[in-house]
Amino acid sequence: MNSLTFEEKLRFIKKMGDFIPHTSGLGVELHSIEGSELTLRLPYQQQLVGDAETGVLHSGALTVLLDQTLGLSAVCSNDIAPSVTPTLDLRIDHFGIAPPGSDIFATGKVLRATRKILFVDGYAWCESPDKPIARATGTWVRVMDIDLDWIKSIGRDSA
Amino acid sequence: MSLAELIGRDPDATTLKRWLEKIPYAVYLGMEAELHDNSILFRLPPDDKLIGNASLPAIHGGVVGAFMELAGAIHLVAHMEKPVLPKVINFSLDYLRASRLQDTWARCEVIRQGRQIANVTVTAWQESATNPNATARAHFLIAEPEIAKEKTHVPLET
Repeated sequence: MNSLTFEEKLRFIKKMGDFIPHTSGLGVELHSIEGSELTLRLPYQQQLVGDAETGVLHSGALTVLLDQTLGLSAVCSNDIAPSVTPTLDLRIDHFGIAPPGSDIFATGKVLRATRKILFVDGYAWCESPDKPIARATGTWVRVMDIDLDWIKSIGRDSA
Repeated sequence: MSLAELIGRDPDATTLKRWLEKIPYAVYLGMEAELHDNSILFRLPPDDKLIGNASLPAIHGGVVGAFMELAGAIHLVAHMEKPVLPKVINFSLDYLRASRLQDTWARCEVIRQGRQIANVTVTAWQESATNPNATARAHFLIAEPEIAKEKTHVPLET
């Protein structure tokens, strides 16, 4: 069981950024936790553009954001113990392109968790979650549980 | 010269370099392409900014995927008779092991190229090509927009 409070989940997701230099360098940050759905935001930036003529972000940047969001989304589920979860596979369907200049959001949610595997769905969007630009689905392996007491202590040190 | 104009050229080593220089995201990742025995070998050199797991340390899985997707698209363009910029329809990645902070290589194969759709597979490895770190399959849309435009301008004949 995951007995984390909403505040503890928020602090844990933010803390994970410290362990993931790539996305913290890109300014990926927590947008929201709504129920068991996690949403992260990737700010628009020139260095992630795929075609300089159009200013459209490269789809690979979505891969990074979706991998991270779906991989962390288990933290938001109350009935899943937080664990270290490397990605087993990830599939992304591109419905369209992100409008140039627009930040990208990714939302993820665990559909089903077994003892070893997390089955996760998600999508990426810009203006509204009702208009996804990409859909993602994948599986993550639960290799090791994370100490709940440690998670609960996050933020207490800095307080 | 724009990327769309550049892809019309034969893919020698210099052209591949110029293609990559035209893609800001490829420049950011630090991606390179080499020609070996007439086949393109892509390289992602290690860089601290690509780390996804600081304790191993390992390259972010999403970055490995992005590198493979770029490789697949460039490989496809290099093998097209009439090159156009491909649009990715979907991308499916299998991770086989964590990618350590060292050179990552990728090689691609066009499994099928139809008139509108191409199916490309990508294999990425570090130590040895026989021990891949990840495999991927991408579908690209390669319909030429000019053809579509011409068709809409054809007057209806009765």
